[in-house]
Amino acid sequence: MPEELSFLDVQSLKRLLDTGKITPSELVETFADRIARFNDLSHAFITVTDKSATGDAARLTTKDLARSPFAGIPFASKDLFDVEGVLTTAGSRVFHDRVASEDAFTIRQLRAAGALSMGKTNLHEFAYGATGENDVYGTCVNAYDPTRLAGGSSSGSAAAVAFGLVPAALGTDTGGSVRAPAALNGLVGLKPTIGRVPTTGVVPYCWTLDHVGLITRTIADCADLLGIVAGFDPCDPASSNHPVDNYAEHLGGGIKGLRVGIPANFYYERTDPEILEAVERVKSHLSEHGAQLRPVTFPDMEHSRTISLTVQMPEALSAHSAFLQERGELYGKDFRAGLALGQCLLAEHYVRARRFIEMYRQQTNALFEDVDVILTPATPEIAQKLGTVKTMRDGVEEAIGNAITRFTTFFNMTGHPALTMPCGMHSDGLPVALQLVGRYFEESTILRVGHFIERNEKFAIPLPKIDGGAG
Amino acid sequence: MHMKPLTKQTLTNVCAQMASHTWTEEELDELVEPKLGIITGFQELLDELETLRQIDLGTTPPALTVQKR
Repeated sequence: MPEELSFLDVQSLKRLLDTGKITPSELVETFADRIARFNDLSHAFITVTDKSATGDAARLTTKDLARSPFAGIPFASKDLFDVEGVLTTAGSRVFHDRVASEDAFTIRQLRAAGALSMGKTNLHEFAYGATGENDVYGTCVNAYDPTRLAGGSSSGSAAAVAFGLVPAALGTDTGGSVRAPAALNGLVGLKPTIGRVPTTGVVPYCWTLDHVGLITRTIADCADLLGIVAGFDPCDPASSNHPVDNYAEHLGGGIKGLRVGIPANFYYERTDPEILEAVERVKSHLSEHGAQLRPVTFPDMEHSRTISLTVQMPEALSAHSAFLQERGELYGKDFRAGLALGQCLLAEHYVRARRFIEMYRQQTNALFEDVDVILTPATPEIAQKLGTVKTMRDGVEEAIGNAITRFTTFFNMTGHPALTMPCGMHSDGLPVALQLVGRYFEESTILRVGHFIERNEKFAIPLPKIDGGAG
Repeated sequence: MHMKPLTKQTLTNVCAQMASHTWTEEELDELVEPKLGIITGFQELLDELETLRQIDLGTTPPALTVQKR
């Protein structure tokens, strides 16, 4: 099977399936071979389920292939998503024996749509961290430069797509854990509106901020995938019964008259100049095609990370309470230290942080009265070298995890949908990316704008050179 | 009231005298004097939280679910 199949987007693969040029079984075989070749380098997968995918593929009939845009398409999920009969390790020794008894909501939706689960991807232990470093299962590397980080915490999901091991993957995003690694690896990453995609069957880290996220090669694939996994699940108290849009239907629309908010504070500060230049080119492109660029000023962001942390750690402690009791010695040192912090915060700290989040939501909603989308860089830095602890920009030192997620974390608190996508290459040979943020449940708008940008060749990026050749 | 710096003894007492999981000496040390560099120093966090405590949030309730607007 030609190697270049591995780097096709889902819609292209689907056309090959629909015209009989390839079968689902052959697709599974292609990606399984690729995983066998590149998993030692990428560390993308913790568990590969190609055998069950092969069985599922063989059972798909022609009628089944018409079920959805993902029918017959292999996908992967971060190892926080339960897949019936398969280990959910959460990237930790603590869950070394946790076999799921049923599928997570999203996995169930994808299987019903005819998609084929190829396995479970690597992550920062329990999603606690943005570098994707993992002592147990190895640290995922960047497809464009294996001496650099893939980013996290959905490191394996991003690496799996970037290395051509699957064409799409699910991750989770509590502070940017889907959007940031997607951005660092030249992929599309979407965090939908909070409650849009149920988290049932996903190992929780922080209920208030956790979102299911999507990683794909193209905006169109992202729209199709969202159409499958979005929905209402009464088992998830945060789930919304707002009607699910036909996301793909909106992609062709233009941007004339679209009001694009450009943050006047925070989002364009202490950022790699080449990233800013790339985003400037996008701004010009949008403006030239009829969009109106308008300045927006975000609320004071100085304390937003503290507020996020003050919600995260007590919730993580509560989620892990039973396991800490039974197998506390199996946790990684850094995560235990974070949980200890959660233990020592006061109840009023936590409630107050939740009230600040509500205030952030109200203030951000007010911004959307004047604009339709907000455009920011996705990350202030490109992918950093493995082992990097801190970054330095404009004389300010910053922990690498904080730097990677500096522009994404806020929207986990406000719950607005946010999309990251590539918009050029850095002179160091790594992708740079932008972020589009929209109103609640208006994923269609940010996908439409993203698609408009993606269609222009000047924002396209080359495939990574893996094993010497392109792709 | 100006807060005094947090001491390990305070955390040890809290963990011994209130409902708590069991934490090692090393973990409590990490809170008072971080070495792993993964989490913000607890003292700095408490200082920031004290600053935030002085901001009047009026009747703003805690964040719950969101609605389309």
